[in-house]
Amino acid sequence: MGGLQKKKFERGSATNYITRNKARKKLQLSLPDFRRLCILKGIYPHEPKHKKKVNKGSTAPRTFYLLKDIRFLLHEPIVGKFRDYKVFVRKLKKAYGKTEWSAVERLKENKPTYKLDHIIKERYPTFIDALRDIDDSLCMCFLFSTFARTGKCHVQTIQLCRRLTVEWMNYVITARALRKVFISIKGIYYQAEVMGQLITWLVPYQFSHDHPTDVDYRVMATFTELYTTLLGFINFRLYHSLNLLYPPKLDSKSESELKEENEEDYALNSECYLEKLSALSASLARVVSTAEEEEEAEPDQFPIEGEDLEKMEEKEKKQKEQEAQKKLFEGLKFYLNREVPRESLAFVIRCFGGEVSWDKSVCIGSTYEVTDETITHQIVDRPNINKQYINRYYIQPQWVYDCINAKILLPVEDYFLGVTLPPHLSPFVEEKDGDYMPPEKVKIMALQRGEKPVHEQEDDDEEEGEDDDEGEDEEEEDDNEDEEDDDAESEEKNLKKMEEQRSQGKSLQVKVTPGKMKVQNPARLEQEEKAEEKRLAIMMMKKKEKYLYDKIMFGKKRKIREANKLAAKRKAYDDAEKAKKKKARK
Amino acid sequence: MLGREYKSCRWRHHLHSGASALKKNKRVSFFQSFNMAAARRLKRVAASQPGFLHLKSTSDSIDSMSSRRKRVNKNKKKNWNKHSDIIDVEEFLEDVRHQERTTGGLLSEKSDDSLFFVDVGQSKKAEQKESIEGKKRKGKTSRPLRIDLILQHDSLVPPPKDVLAYQQPNAKKLRRIAQKAEQLAAKGVVPRRQKQLPNRRPVDRKAKKAVTEANNNPDREYYDIWGQESKDSADPWYLQQTGKKLVTRPEKLNEKPSVLPAVEVIAPGGSYNPDFFSHQALLQEAHDVEVKKQKEEDKIQRQLAINKEDRATEETTLREQVEGLVEEENEEDTAPNEEEGGVAVGAIALAEKKTERQRKRQKADKIKEQQRLSDRRQTEQRQQLFQLRSIKSSIKQQEKKTKDKQKLRKAKQEAQKGQPRRLGRLKFQAQDLEVQLSDELAGSLRQLKPEGSVLKDRFKSLQKRNLIEPRERAKFKRIHKLKYVEKRAFREIT
Repeated sequence: MGGLQKKKFERGSATNYITRNKARKKLQLSLPDFRRLCILKGIYPHEPKHKKKVNKGSTAPRTFYLLKDIRFLLHEPIVGKFRDYKVFVRKLKKAYGKTEWSAVERLKENKPTYKLDHIIKERYPTFIDALRDIDDSLCMCFLFSTFARTGKCHVQTIQLCRRLTVEWMNYVITARALRKVFISIKGIYYQAEVMGQLITWLVPYQFSHDHPTDVDYRVMATFTELYTTLLGFINFRLYHSLNLLYPPKLDSKSESELKEENEEDYALNSECYLEKLSALSASLARVVSTAEEEEEAEPDQFPIEGEDLEKMEEKEKKQKEQEAQKKLFEGLKFYLNREVPRESLAFVIRCFGGEVSWDKSVCIGSTYEVTDETITHQIVDRPNINKQYINRYYIQPQWVYDCINAKILLPVEDYFLGVTLPPHLSPFVEEKDGDYMPPEKVKIMALQRGEKPVHEQEDDDEEEGEDDDEGEDEEEEDDNEDEEDDDAESEEKNLKKMEEQRSQGKSLQVKVTPGKMKVQNPARLEQEEKAEEKRLAIMMMKKKEKYLYDKIMFGKKRKIREANKLAAKRKAYDDAEKAKKKKARK
Repeated sequence: MLGREYKSCRWRHHLHSGASALKKNKRVSFFQSFNMAAARRLKRVAASQPGFLHLKSTSDSIDSMSSRRKRVNKNKKKNWNKHSDIIDVEEFLEDVRHQERTTGGLLSEKSDDSLFFVDVGQSKKAEQKESIEGKKRKGKTSRPLRIDLILQHDSLVPPPKDVLAYQQPNAKKLRRIAQKAEQLAAKGVVPRRQKQLPNRRPVDRKAKKAVTEANNNPDREYYDIWGQESKDSADPWYLQQTGKKLVTRPEKLNEKPSVLPAVEVIAPGGSYNPDFFSHQALLQEAHDVEVKKQKEEDKIQRQLAINKEDRATEETTLREQVEGLVEEENEEDTAPNEEEGGVAVGAIALAEKKTERQRKRQKADKIKEQQRLSDRRQTEQRQQLFQLRSIKSSIKQQEKKTKDKQKLRKAKQEAQKGQPRRLGRLKFQAQDLEVQLSDELAGSLRQLKPEGSVLKDRFKSLQKRNLIEPRERAKFKRIHKLKYVEKRAFREIT
């Protein structure tokens, strides 16, 4: 009644959103420029809840941005630079068209450029914020650094990416921050722990690019532009946190070692240093040359009680484990044959304190020769090798990765030359108790616990022994699950034994022996009592709770059942394999 | 403008002899007006000439030459211009100019030595010839270009001096200042500007270099961006007013548009040397995806296929052929329908007016009905007092229902967070799972054939996390249709 009629779409969500084209017009930018700006500033499209309302009654699919975001973009100084660049391109085109080469030169000299420093600072106000977001930038930089220099993107970008990734790898080596490695069919996944943050990145295999056509290279290049800036600043900070010189310098000692007479043959002088750095075989120079062994500051210990104490103990245990893992390869000397992926292996081995070298012709920066008597492991990836030294192991590269994931030095026998390798398990899978675990994992876990491995060889002679082991493992699992049924089972077993014996026609041992007092095992009694209590508690449960409890228990049991099923399947599979082998041998 | 000035001055010039010549020279060369010395000389020369005549005589001479006498009013300047004869004056002046151009001055003023030489004999001439020939030979080697010859200054009149080139603006003042500075220097007083020189800030060359440095320069330098405190040296008010203040970023923008991690690690079956079961699981997953795709495709195929019932059978073709020939029964059926319709239309018109009594009755009924309803409501309310418990329970139930719904909605929203949103015309389409079949698996790292592209994986990951909208490659679209024309040569062949 009365008043003006309310117009549609003048308030509410319709006014909070803006379509992409309108936003672009508001900023006076072309679409590619607008895209670039949004990526750099971290402004992403938004899906409104009620599209029809926002789209003024139309249901056409559109890209929407929040109006406030676009208003924020209006203040960005880089927008002006984009416009400058547009003008620059226009002028350059004109000069080319008129074949005024001096003008072209002059224009090219004064090409408008911009910096992203302020955007980095704005988007990541603190260092930790930046570190949390580094996964993406690492992936992108590693990816771009493997590109061929064929004009898919600027050569300079590729060089910068290469430099930054080398810096990052050198940092991880020095900080001994690597935790997990996973060789997949796509690429190699690494995980490192830097300042308490778990950082995962993916490194593609070298020379494996077919350039897919449905990827927008311009968008990727824009992301890379931002990420190179970010990674550079993070690298600087990380280097300084370790007292390293930032544009990384080789140690004076190692530098003199790496000096070779025919360096010029390998690389240009300007590129030589980066190549040496990327060889990853030498340590870096520090700002203040510290003593070799830094004294680790012991964390202060406070008196804590109860649960906190347990937690603290757990923490300490974990820390100790980590320390041990960091020194996994210390004292070992590796030599890489030319057919193994050099960079990945060198990086990984150096991350855990090992020494590594390779043939001189493979890459710059090799530190010792094949003939060195102190080499403990030679990594080989071919069926056989002619000249072998007695005092070193010849192993396949997977051993290194598996050792890292298992956090212990695995027995080398499974990884010898020509041996069928055990599967390479993903370290990124975390099994809960009750889940199915592949037998290899079980074995590794047993090794981690410090149990001596029952010497299992894949030979046919000891087949049965192995099977028994596996059976035991399963049984163990079962035991953990239901303790109550334990005694009953054992009794049953006894009975079964007797029955078998009877059926085999052996006379029962009928003998009268003096009666014995049944010894009451107090521990056992206690257990029984506990079990009884539990049963009673279950009985006393409310209907609702009981329902929930049953559900949980059912879920657990189902899991166990599935795990058992898988294990049985596996056993069948293994048996089949063995049978096949046998046949083949015969 | 120059021309007009020249015209208006013409008569005056005649009367004042030399001045006219001077000013006429303006036409020849603008700068000549500045050449005072030359002007003075001209004046003198012109005055001494006997042919310098007055107006009358000139007009007479014209008249005598023409067959008919022409009367001209002499009180009009226009007529002066028109009818005075200045040919002789101009001829004379032209002669003077010619002399000046060719010899550099008037011949009459030249000394005899410069005009004549003594002819001494043949021998010298020969020598001269030789020398000329030598010059010619020399010229052959380094003959000036023709263009240079054309452009050569061929007049001997020296170019006029540019006075302004020798004049210094504010010369007097400057001289005075210089003198004063000298005096002060002698006393040992250093001027203020010189004193401030060492305090000046050095030119920051580096900063300028940084501006031109490209963003992807491989040797670029980094610094501790998080370490240094923001230096707000300038006045904030000034910064704000000049638009140099950076607008603070809203907190909301730092939220990520998706909860998914940046790097999703491939399933354990994607290992280069996988465990049997995890590999099977991955294969199964890939298989399921493929089956789903196949099903959708089949569905579309099915929808596109021709319905079996729509296919022509003998019966339908026969019916089609006889269509319109045998249809008497239907007509009979439709006829009565039409009649009924006619009746119904008539009934609408039959609305009658109500009587007074009917109206009153209706009103009473209405009031009674209202009364009944209100009574009933009241009793119900009274009864509700005794139903308190059930009401309470029902309320509880309702609340519980809403809570459940809320929970459900929240759970749904949470699940949505991990899902890619619809950000544009296209829906997000996950890339194909990277899988190697059992026989493709490599036995060792050396023989491994990488599967899929990391670049595509990254690109899809960005789309999945709602950072960019899914797009497809723009198709090339021809604006104008191609037109094929047979070339002449081609036609000849065929």
